[in-house]
Amino acid sequence: MQNVLNPGGIPFWRNVVFIQWAVQIVTAVFVLAIVAGFIFNVANEIREREIPFGFSFLDDAAQIPIGESVIAYDPSQSYLYGFIVAALNTVKASVLGVILATLLGIVIGVARLSRNWLLSKLALVYIDTFRNIPLLIQLLFWFLIVLELPNVREGYVFFDSFYLNNSGFYLPWATPLGGFWPWMILTFAGIALGIGAYNYLQRREITTGKPSYPLIAAFVIFVIFTVVGFAIFTPWEVVAPEPQGRFGRLQGGAKLTGSFFALLIGLVIYTSAFIAEIVRAGIQAVNRGQTEAARSLGLNTIASLRHVVFPQALRVVIPPMISQFLNLTKNSSLAAAIGYPDIVSVASTMTQIAPAISLIGMVMVTYLAMSLFYSLIGNIYNRVTKYAGVG
Amino acid sequence: MTVGVPGWIRTNLFSSPVDGVITIVLAVIIAIGAFNAVSWVFFTASWEVITSRVPLYVIGRYPQDLYWRPETALLLVSVLLGMGWRMWGGLARGFAIAIIIITLLAGVLPYLGVDLSPPTEPDAPPNEPKHLVNAMFILNFVAVAVGYGLAMIPSIGRAKTFFITAIVFFIISAFLIIGSSYIPGLDPVPTQDLGGLTLNLLLAAVGIVCSIPIGIALALGRRSQLPFLKYFCVGFIEIVRGVPLITLLFMSRHILPLTFPETVSIDELYLAMITITLFSSAYMAENVRGGMAAVATGQTEAARALGLRAWQTTIMITLPQGLRNIIPAIVGQSIGLFKDTSLVFIIGMLDLVEMGRVTIQGNLDFVDDGHEVYIFIAVVFWVFTSSMSYVSRRIETALGVGRR
Repeated sequence: MQNVLNPGGIPFWRNVVFIQWAVQIVTAVFVLAIVAGFIFNVANEIREREIPFGFSFLDDAAQIPIGESVIAYDPSQSYLYGFIVAALNTVKASVLGVILATLLGIVIGVARLSRNWLLSKLALVYIDTFRNIPLLIQLLFWFLIVLELPNVREGYVFFDSFYLNNSGFYLPWATPLGGFWPWMILTFAGIALGIGAYNYLQRREITTGKPSYPLIAAFVIFVIFTVVGFAIFTPWEVVAPEPQGRFGRLQGGAKLTGSFFALLIGLVIYTSAFIAEIVRAGIQAVNRGQTEAARSLGLNTIASLRHVVFPQALRVVIPPMISQFLNLTKNSSLAAAIGYPDIVSVASTMTQIAPAISLIGMVMVTYLAMSLFYSLIGNIYNRVTKYAGVG
Repeated sequence: MTVGVPGWIRTNLFSSPVDGVITIVLAVIIAIGAFNAVSWVFFTASWEVITSRVPLYVIGRYPQDLYWRPETALLLVSVLLGMGWRMWGGLARGFAIAIIIITLLAGVLPYLGVDLSPPTEPDAPPNEPKHLVNAMFILNFVAVAVGYGLAMIPSIGRAKTFFITAIVFFIISAFLIIGSSYIPGLDPVPTQDLGGLTLNLLLAAVGIVCSIPIGIALALGRRSQLPFLKYFCVGFIEIVRGVPLITLLFMSRHILPLTFPETVSIDELYLAMITITLFSSAYMAENVRGGMAAVATGQTEAARALGLRAWQTTIMITLPQGLRNIIPAIVGQSIGLFKDTSLVFIIGMLDLVEMGRVTIQGNLDFVDDGHEVYIFIAVVFWVFTSSMSYVSRRIETALGVGRR
């Protein structure tokens, strides 16, 4: 066996293995020195300036009010619980925002491709305007508009059940009753059976060529389970908000507070402008020949869209779309500017008493977890939709 | 049927009954919206909240005695715009003409009885026109002309010269505006006095320019086969890209000062610059990586076949072609970063947006003028960002990115 460090008499300092290891070690020492210096410096300063540090504060009572929460909260609960409540507020804003921005973005993106000149140009103006103005200004502007709405007693009422005023937006919402969980089980069973039936009928249609209507069958099964379950158990009832008492306080239904409402409008409009561009690019990326080929194979318009155009457009659309979802989640941190108690805003309130360094670390880890979640979804999608035999 | 104006209208607006209904409904909505907007802008809105404090929005509470410094920076920018006008025309010409008109107005109006100086204490004597300041404004067109003339010399009117000049002028302008205690005659300006649009532009420019070298280094590190280097770069890029800029700014306020000894008090302005640069580098690194990945493998193989070493191949072949690929992406990132500079309110700096917010929340006279302020700021941002994206599209076409 040849000497690894001296093959064929090449001096060792020109040996690739040696050079790589040397560079590696030098970088390692360099990076470690910087990181160690950083940590040492910070630790030293923390000790010398007696800056509080550590995580023991998490069990203490937070003593800070949080304006709204998904789960019940009162200030006597611990910092950790308050932090979780704030994180759930961020999740709530981003989940609702992602759903609404996707829907609006698809509508605008399709409108951009419309053959109607006016509609297409209007969509262009929408995209160009909202994409190019900082989200912060848009949020401040919507919040201003919400604050200028009339008060509860003089606010707008739509269909006797939707109330819009300067304290927020009130809408009818389902209140679960006793039979809620049995009904949920039945509904999930309906979904599972529907998917099973869909797969079976789809395979039958492809292998035998007989029309089997898989989508319709799956939908009918799902509806039957849900409706029958509803009739048996009466799982929930829809309650509309109603003015109560002398000051017209609204009770019942769901309430979106003013700052949450403004945040949601801002995030949805801003992100939908980006999503619209992605959708437009995705649809344009599918070669016209694909549609023509599908049509000449005998697929009708809907079938060619469903089986030929959409699957190919989605492949282009989904990865940038997921990065927009991540952007929306990160942008929800601007809530701090309009007083919605998201994770950043609550954590910064907590820093008045609790150690800032620990809290910032927790906030960053939470966001990293969310972005890991999104890239996980992206990776799964890429694996599922990979062309057979490619990559 | 499809020729001329009636034909165009028929194909594009009324191609089917549904289409016709959509067109009519939209036209009515647009007409009502436009009417309301115009009547609001010209009759309802009160623009005094903007006109009475123009300098605050442009440059914050910058000391008036030192106005010559940002104005010199503006002259340098004007020279560049003049060069751009000669070399490319188009948008550079538009900007050059706009800047000439604006500066002429700013220089002449004080002599016509319009007071453009920042608001003062109620009892203070009225502002005297500042002749030096106004003269520099009026003579701004000379700078544009100088730039235009310089670019007519063939050896100067080249893209390479332009970019080198731009970088040099940028560094000079940054020092002029911020000041430095190491340069005699250029006393540092207190951070609290630097603000407005100038602050947004300064932070975005520093962030982009400084993040290019760091981003290239990170991208090369990420492409490297040395695991330690590679995972350090991957870790940095992914962590920074995974959290919002706000949390990084928070961190910079609470943690960065601790990395310096207590005696060194580091200014918010530099904290903001460091944070924004690091934030931008992570995104820049991903752009550079994408650009280098798009370089055809044949290029690398040819370089190796010609006998170039691995590092020579990267430096001389892959990197230059990769950077050429990502010029539009860099412009796109500049747009994003420019919008993101509005977040520095978190560390207490008075950028354009925060200046607007402070104005309406801190002045009883202007409490009801929120719409005017925010719409004005939105328009200012929109003018800059949308012209940048126009430039990006032009460069994309010129380079033929994606068409090769």
